[in-house]
Amino acid sequence: MPDQGTLTEASVAHTSPVLAPLYPPPPWKLPGARILRAVFETDKEAVLSNVPPKLTRSSPPYGLVSIEHYADSPIGEFSLAHQFIGCRAGFFVRAFALQSVVDSPVALSALREVWGFPCVPGKVTLAADGKSGSVEGERGVICNLALGGEGEELAPDLVRFDPILTLRLAPSLQEGTTHDLIQLVQVDAEVEAYTARRGKGEVTYPDGSDWSILACRNPISAVSSVVDTELPLARFVMPY
Amino acid sequence: MKFGIFHELSVGKPWRPESESEVYHNALEQVVLADKLGFDQSWAVEHHFLEEYSHCSAPEVFLSAAAARTERIRLGHGVMMVLPPFNHPIRCAERAAALDIISKGRLEFGTGRSATWTELGGFRCEPDDTKEMWDEAVRAIPKMWTGERFSHQGKYFSMPERPVIPRPYQKPHPPMWVAVSSPETAIQAAERGIGCLGVSIGSPGEYESRVKDYRRVIKDCDPIGEFVNEQVNGVTFLYVDETDEEAQAYGTKLAYTFAHLAAHLIGISTVYPTPAYKTPGLLFGLRAPAGGEKAPGGGGVIREGMGIGSPEAVIKNLKMWEDIGVDRMVFIINTAEQIPQEKVLRSLELFAEHVMPALDKSVREPAPAAR
Repeated sequence: MPDQGTLTEASVAHTSPVLAPLYPPPPWKLPGARILRAVFETDKEAVLSNVPPKLTRSSPPYGLVSIEHYADSPIGEFSLAHQFIGCRAGFFVRAFALQSVVDSPVALSALREVWGFPCVPGKVTLAADGKSGSVEGERGVICNLALGGEGEELAPDLVRFDPILTLRLAPSLQEGTTHDLIQLVQVDAEVEAYTARRGKGEVTYPDGSDWSILACRNPISAVSSVVDTELPLARFVMPY
Repeated sequence: MKFGIFHELSVGKPWRPESESEVYHNALEQVVLADKLGFDQSWAVEHHFLEEYSHCSAPEVFLSAAAARTERIRLGHGVMMVLPPFNHPIRCAERAAALDIISKGRLEFGTGRSATWTELGGFRCEPDDTKEMWDEAVRAIPKMWTGERFSHQGKYFSMPERPVIPRPYQKPHPPMWVAVSSPETAIQAAERGIGCLGVSIGSPGEYESRVKDYRRVIKDCDPIGEFVNEQVNGVTFLYVDETDEEAQAYGTKLAYTFAHLAAHLIGISTVYPTPAYKTPGLLFGLRAPAGGEKAPGGGGVIREGMGIGSPEAVIKNLKMWEDIGVDRMVFIINTAEQIPQEKVLRSLELFAEHVMPALDKSVREPAPAAR
């Protein structure tokens, strides 16, 4: 009999390539992160056409945009922006990740492959005072976000980050089928805020922006905060 | 202990042209039966824009219709939004007085400030300001009812001297309450000498310290009205059937549907961080505890102290509320018509026949007498 390989499934690294994963496994500790996040009312049709059937919309429908700077992570400094849909999974409040942009190739791989964040490469800028930021794709700016004025100081324990849901996909390599794997993944990051300011929030998309599918119809609030957080292992993985 | 029913007037999808009318008229039929059976109170909420969860945006109309069809049952605003962007305090005083007259002195005047972005955002009302708005209004309204003329120069509303008429039928005025879904608001109710109207679905254990704090603080209150209304109402679900199994099948549907609809509203703390709303309020009281622990009373949405079960089980559950000092229990008896109307009516009859007589009907009356 020919000799068999001895690499067991359990000993394969957490992601390929086998001998040189691009990034360490979760959880990733992310101390001192700066986050500017806005919540706004949006259109029912945009929400319903972009969330899976297991999820339901709130009344009124709302979206979130978040610009985040991680100065200290297991893969070094990177910045990340997300557009989320506020939704419900049964009784629970969740943020469904709709679109994301990240400025680090390693973070891009990890966020897509491990957690299922819908990341594309781009430029993400968060001002040093945390009160404004912008997101750029390959065709230019796709979103501008601002706290809205100076904002007012807020007790950090009031800042809330709802669990995130992403779609984790493995594409099919067989003709006539779509996904070998499609799962809903719930990422519950522990977040401890230690400074926070709240404003009304200003979210704008230049004409033709991919992010304009989630229009800002009525700003609700925005919070600029500094937090210690982490990207953990998924809390739940559910069938689509 | 005394008992009441509580109407959100929830209208589940898919909506038909007659859906809202069916819910309203079923609810009125329930109030009429509750009056005949000896229930003490019927409360109606005021909510706006809360699709499916509550289509009761004009409770004074519903309660007026109930007043015209009943003789004895007390009728409660549970609650009236007294924030000026929703209802000018003058209109609150006028409408409440008119309802008290129509009902010949059967009004319980519950007040509140909303716990949802859905509503506050809809009225362009700043969440940070609602506690102060509520306080200014609830202090003014009893003065409008009792003074010959009233004028006011406040932060959120003002008016030159005018007679606010009509005057309530009850003298000096109807009992006042506030919707309580947090320990802080229970204390604020006690400080002002008004009733503690529980609106969050919880277990007796969760209410216990709130009741104790309320009783302690109200002893030294500075009443905003002409008398102290020292009363605590709790709220839970009610569905009584012949056996526990039959009751739990419909009771679970009732509680689950209520919680599911509530979860789709937007609690203030979800989207607008503010010290004015530290707790999620009514909306998420039925969530299972974190960490996979079972809720008191079992798994799922059936919790300790709920009025769901056979008459014997419901008596046992309600005694828990009596033991912690709750004066009255108010029941949500249907949600989005999940329980057929004939079964809701039969549940009320079983409750009146078997449960009511088993529980002490004495209750702390407002002092001095408001009637």
